[in-house]
Amino acid sequence: MLGFLRGFSAIWRRELAGIFMGPLAWTLLVIAIALQGLLFLVYLKTSQGDVDLALRFGFGESWAFWALAALFPPLLTMRMISEESRLGLLEYLLTAPVSDASVVLGKFAAATSFMALVWSSGLLHALLVQAAGVAPDWGAVWGGWIGAVLVSGLFCATGLLCSALTNTPVVAAFGAIVLHIVIVILPLLSSLTEARWIQEAIARVDVLDHHKATFLVGVLDSAYLGFFVVWTALFLYAATRSLEARRWR
Amino acid sequence: MISVQSLTRVYGSHKALDAVSFEIQKGEVVGFLGPNGAGKTTTLRILAGYLPPSSGTARVAGFDVVRDSIEVRKRIGYLPEAVPLYRELRVEEMLRFHARLHGMERERTRRRIGEVLEQVQLADRSSQLVGNLSRGLRQRAGLAVALLPEPEVLILDEPTSGLDPIQRLEVRALLTELARRHTVIVSSHILPEIEAVCPRVIIVAKGRIAADGTRDALVRQLGGASHVRLEAVVGPDVAKAKALLASIAGVSQVVDGGRVGIHHGFDLVCDSDLREDAGALAAARGWALRELSWRTPSLEQIFARIALSDGIGEASGGTGGSIGGAPRTDAATSPAVALAGARLEFELRATPATAAAPAAAPAAISGAAQAKPKVVYNLNPFDGGARRDLGKPKAIDGGSAERKEP
Repeated sequence: MLGFLRGFSAIWRRELAGIFMGPLAWTLLVIAIALQGLLFLVYLKTSQGDVDLALRFGFGESWAFWALAALFPPLLTMRMISEESRLGLLEYLLTAPVSDASVVLGKFAAATSFMALVWSSGLLHALLVQAAGVAPDWGAVWGGWIGAVLVSGLFCATGLLCSALTNTPVVAAFGAIVLHIVIVILPLLSSLTEARWIQEAIARVDVLDHHKATFLVGVLDSAYLGFFVVWTALFLYAATRSLEARRWR
Repeated sequence: MISVQSLTRVYGSHKALDAVSFEIQKGEVVGFLGPNGAGKTTTLRILAGYLPPSSGTARVAGFDVVRDSIEVRKRIGYLPEAVPLYRELRVEEMLRFHARLHGMERERTRRRIGEVLEQVQLADRSSQLVGNLSRGLRQRAGLAVALLPEPEVLILDEPTSGLDPIQRLEVRALLTELARRHTVIVSSHILPEIEAVCPRVIIVAKGRIAADGTRDALVRQLGGASHVRLEAVVGPDVAKAKALLASIAGVSQVVDGGRVGIHHGFDLVCDSDLREDAGALAAARGWALRELSWRTPSLEQIFARIALSDGIGEASGGTGGSIGGAPRTDAATSPAVALAGARLEFELRATPATAAAPAAAPAAISGAAQAKPKVVYNLNPFDGGARRDLGKPKAIDGGSAERKEP
């Protein structure tokens, strides 16, 4: 266990440093912060000064949030395994005394913590509003942030899986983005059909609703938390197995 | 320290390793030698815990590479051929990352980083980005990474590939120094590297171990006969000179190397260096000497022979034939001769009747045809093939019987 944590934290730190050493991370951060900040002003205006509603937009009620959530993680994770495999770095990592699981989890944690940083611009908006004299519903703000991180975690896990399945970063990013778009527009399918069983099946895997129904309004429901944890774990497990499968090829 | 038993690894339908077994004791320095694609890298990757074997077992320091992979990885320093390092890190950061993966304490990390950088002579480059290092420097940085946790076993895959001659010398010197403290396995397809550094050599070919032993033992075991080369003016009676040379104690055979200008060449096949005796004889007879040299087959010749032949049996068997038949040219380095020798060996085993046949090569060809009982189209004008009934396969027994009968 101790060995696992040691490898995990070493890889987490390295990957996070690796993310920030490239220009991509800074570009993404600037885009996200500028866009979210601009849109926050728009949300404030359309909600006619309802601060909580405007903050909720920033954390998941708007299309902009889902676009960022679906596009950013694949860009972060696309190179993590596929490129390392191509450069032979995987051979280096997988002959170091760390388990495959800690390699995958370390990379996953790095991507997710970057996304957590991206979403914290929303926290900044809440602080600003507070400074301006209107107290926001902090429970909902933190809930929204936690939900946003969980959603990104899930998308980082799928992104990592795609990266583990191919040797080309672009293919990994493309695959993950397509998957994420499917996930995001899945609820729209519900409205297209009358069949109850399809609607129910979609409701069970509806990431948007799981985020909006609880976290966004400041409720930490263990069932909904479990939904994200289980799905994320499932994709991470698949990524680990596929990393392992590389040895057999 | 390392024990490998009938290790087999299959990639799809290709058998990269075929039941390889060997043992390496603590403190040994072993060179893995083989042509490209022989299975060197696969073996090393299995030992490093990167690839699982398809069957067979490998143990490092008593730990199974599959079941106790992590324990094995703690004890090895592995430098893959591509020298994978994070290009965006500085040399020192790369080392610190590696130390963290190995769970080294801070104090020890700092001490070891200083030591290994000194050892590979990179101390002045410690704050340079790995991606900006030249190939040779990166190789050394990779070595530093492998050395950092003071591993019991060092596994280096082609540590000198892509280096210029001077860098190669430096790496070689470094390896010699490392050999004093670690069990080292080095792979290479460049023979002088291995010969210079490793007392023990394992030659791999086509996924099998073709030879294993110290350099001298290999030469003795597989190299065949060594000989004294003598070129001198021996006068008109060559046969007498040959007989005289053959009478030297220890000479098992004298091969007439033919006339070279006014000189005549002989090869005295013998186990020990008989230059003095041959020289004394020449002086006594008044022969004007042009060359008197002691020639032993080099590891390089053996390596070439193994690389070119199909396997171990043929390689060692072909030796006798080619040395005896054509000692003038380096039998091993000329592929045609080595292969012919190998085929001859095969034929000798298959059809003992042809053992005495002097024309070995044509016999071998028609012998191969014998296995297929179909029409043989022989275009050799000296073979009498045109007069032969092409409807019947030509039996070599018939040919040699004709020669024997009269």
